[in-house]
Amino acid sequence: MDWSYIQGILMLAGINLIAVLGLSLLTGFTGLFSFGHAGFMAIGAYIGALMTASPNSTPAGLGLPFFVGIIAGGAAAGIVGYLIGRITLNLKGDYFCIATLGFGEAIRLILNNVQTFGGSRGWPGIPYKSTLPTIIIVDVLAVIFLANIVHSRHGRNMVAVREEELAAQVTGINVFKSKMTALVISAVYAGIAGVFFAHYMTFIQPKMFSMNKSTELTIIVIFGGLGSISGSVLGALVLTALPELLRTFDIWRLVFYGAAVILIMISRPRGLMGGMELTPAGIRKVKAERKARQAAKASLMALNEPEEGAGLGEGKGA
Amino acid sequence: MKKVLIGLMLVISMVFISCGGSGKGNTIKVGWFGALTGDQAVWGENELNTVKMLFEEYNAAGGIDVGGKKYKLEVIGYDNKGDAQEAVNVTKRLTGQDKVVAILGPNASGNAIPIAPILEQAKVPDIATVATNPKVTVLDGKVKPYNFRVCFIDPYQGAVAAGYAYDRLGARKAAILYDVSDDYSQGLREFFKLNFEKKGGTIVADESFNGGDVDFRPQLSKIKATNPDIIFMPYFFKEVALSANQARDLGIKQVLMGGDGWPSDQLISMGGKAVEGCYFVNHLDYADPAVQDYKTRYKAKYGKETELNGYLVHDAVLVLVAGLQKAGKVNGEALAKALEGIEVQGITGKINISPETHNPEGKDAAIEKIVNGQYVFQERYAAQ
Amino acid sequence: MIQFLQQLINGLSIGSIYALMAVGYSLVYSIMNFSNFAHGSVIMLGAYFGFFALTGLNLPFFAAFMVACIGTTILAIVIERVAYKPLRERQAPFLYFIISAMGASILLENLVIATIGPTFRTYPPIFERTPLYIGSLAIGRLDLMMFIISAICLAGLLLFINKTKMGKAIQAASYNIKACALMGINTDRIILIVFGLGGFLAGVAGVFFGMKYTVYPQIGNITTKSFIAAVFGGLGSLPGAVIGSIILGVLETLVAGYISSQYRDLIAFVILIGVLIFRPTGIMGKSTVDKA
Repeated sequence: MDWSYIQGILMLAGINLIAVLGLSLLTGFTGLFSFGHAGFMAIGAYIGALMTASPNSTPAGLGLPFFVGIIAGGAAAGIVGYLIGRITLNLKGDYFCIATLGFGEAIRLILNNVQTFGGSRGWPGIPYKSTLPTIIIVDVLAVIFLANIVHSRHGRNMVAVREEELAAQVTGINVFKSKMTALVISAVYAGIAGVFFAHYMTFIQPKMFSMNKSTELTIIVIFGGLGSISGSVLGALVLTALPELLRTFDIWRLVFYGAAVILIMISRPRGLMGGMELTPAGIRKVKAERKARQAAKASLMALNEPEEGAGLGEGKGA
Repeated sequence: MKKVLIGLMLVISMVFISCGGSGKGNTIKVGWFGALTGDQAVWGENELNTVKMLFEEYNAAGGIDVGGKKYKLEVIGYDNKGDAQEAVNVTKRLTGQDKVVAILGPNASGNAIPIAPILEQAKVPDIATVATNPKVTVLDGKVKPYNFRVCFIDPYQGAVAAGYAYDRLGARKAAILYDVSDDYSQGLREFFKLNFEKKGGTIVADESFNGGDVDFRPQLSKIKATNPDIIFMPYFFKEVALSANQARDLGIKQVLMGGDGWPSDQLISMGGKAVEGCYFVNHLDYADPAVQDYKTRYKAKYGKETELNGYLVHDAVLVLVAGLQKAGKVNGEALAKALEGIEVQGITGKINISPETHNPEGKDAAIEKIVNGQYVFQERYAAQ
Repeated sequence: MIQFLQQLINGLSIGSIYALMAVGYSLVYSIMNFSNFAHGSVIMLGAYFGFFALTGLNLPFFAAFMVACIGTTILAIVIERVAYKPLRERQAPFLYFIISAMGASILLENLVIATIGPTFRTYPPIFERTPLYIGSLAIGRLDLMMFIISAICLAGLLLFINKTKMGKAIQAASYNIKACALMGINTDRIILIVFGLGGFLAGVAGVFFGMKYTVYPQIGNITTKSFIAAVFGGLGSLPGAVIGSIILGVLETLVAGYISSQYRDLIAFVILIGVLIFRPTGIMGKSTVDKA
């Protein structure tokens, strides 16, 4: 296969991964379901483009270096995430879903109408800055940062909120603050992913950040497995490549894609890597659990056998 | 888990098998991509079918002559759902893996714009069909070396529609209804508004809907109250038929006008009486003897009528073949050079690709009127 | 004034379409506690079933209507068996149901594109197109019909749920499905019936949608609006779903008519979210009492 084609898919997977990692913190670790993360990506993409695009192009940018774009895009998404969180984080379950869905659609609607950013006709001529090495570096940093959060007190609080909100509150966890932290971090991640996306495509259009993009991200997180960082990595790689791999099936490929999603849900109900991690410690944990299970089974059998033996013995004795 | 892994392996191995068959020495591989799924699929299917039909015809006639050697044509068509990200993926696949010499399509401007850097890197020219945004071929005053198209552009079409409405139909007050989430619709609306106001007309209502909407009565009721002379509807025929029917239901009797998103037999079957007496800007005259041959060939082969995109991709194929013959060799870079300034008599008119803009210059628009469920050609109309 | 009344009529008619779709959502939600995103695809197939029964089999309208409804009933049950039952048995969290539902909806939409094709199809004219006029107010015949059918469906459904033994069981299951199972109610059958009913309603909605707005594979997308309406009305409450839909329809219409059609959805969303802040479970939602 051709390298530039594979490279392109890897880059897209890497970009998706940044957003997926953030969403994994929100959905996988904190238990909040978002339909609007494409909105945060859009904010990152447009603010990033505003920073880096040439002042002589239409729409005009500021012509600043790429890293300024990354920081500004991430920060802008984070700030918007905070504001949205203030309003909506008290809503529960599907009600929060709807609020995020509304947010995502609202962002798209605003961008469609704002002609200074090109409206629905889009923003062409964004400099090509996303390279595979930079994306990989950012991915690695994103994973390390996320792993640190997850293993910190904040991370444990988030899991507690996911498992049983009320109990978490009773034990003195500030539920709102935990949710807010997760939302803001995931928004920043999505924003940065948006910046990279814009500088990979060199053209952005509000259409690209529709609800389908949000659900695609959510599907990756759940496909990979809730509460697993390595699951998200695996999920992003597999699901970004899958539609391309299925290309031979022509117009049937999305039928297979849908079928694959259902299949993985019903055959591996916790996603590819639900709750497990592909780290030495994680593998040891899984092995230990398996061993413990086997030991338990063995002891159960051992428990049963003597009883039978005893029974027989008794019979003999009588 | 094992089952899933085995499934994945199967898929991957199939992909590799499909990659195996590379072209032989006397085949020219041409890429096509567009929407075969998603809401643009009607047009994508029509384009790919047309390309396949034409290539089969060329091959049956012994292939085409390039630099004294006979070549067969082969199309490699991919679906991109009308999605820009997938457009980038398939362009990389077509240029990198399938090693095509040129790409035909896509029909959407939003898909044609982001592929430009990839084309430049791979030195593969693209001939877009109905991507009408000026930025497809020219960006910030610079022409993109590998992007071409065979259709006129939004500013031109908007000017034609506004000019015809003002000068020929005598409209002074116009209302616009457009799809705010669609780049094509927003482009036409912008240039219609600009030109109509420049001529001295007023836009009395400027209303929009959101892509995927099916009910336009709130906007139409509002438009009705402003009592315009004409209502401009720059979007695709499904929405046109729905909004035209709803407008008539609300008692709106005004003439409706549209762009090249209108022409389709489905507009007549869905719109019926509601679109009677309405005008639209088209790329060609359907009654033109030059197009009848293609129309009947398509109908005979696929059992249904061709859409507008078919005519344009037909001409894109003519331009491609002429370009290859002019270049004298099967090479993307030479082909791109040859396409500049090329002159081809297509079924949608004379196509003269300008080296400065890579657009077909001097291609007049056709104005059509719907009379008794038929498209009746009015005149060739050029915007001043 | 005339324009305002006309807009009100427009809004009511849009709202009643949303309502037909939203009731099915809400019914499934009340038992399963998850949003069945495959519902939109079932509606889409309902529209196709009706279309082919009318044009392909040349059935009279009522027969075609029944064919569509029975077809979607079976389809909804099959989806439940294939995509949800295995999850149910494992007691998977609601997120998995949603993803499975999305998978099903991607699959069905593209299955239609791959087999039937992407072209739009128009229903043969069944009701006369010319609207009824009251003064200069136009009321579509189909809209009126749809409004009445929505009302009949809803009334029938409420009657079924409140008056029959099976309905009582459904009510009990929506209150607490585990306790229900302990009381000796066959919850598996309840779920089957609920999905069947949801599918039947999807068939009704599909045929009417098809008649009014043509048939195409992406119909399912419009159901996002009815999902919003169902949430707004209070998920799990059938009258809530209807009221939410009507309010959303009228709200959208008035915003587009009097404020801005460009920002219609934005303003409508802001208002909806505003309402949710003061009533976090929607207008008529089950008040979720925290298990303290």
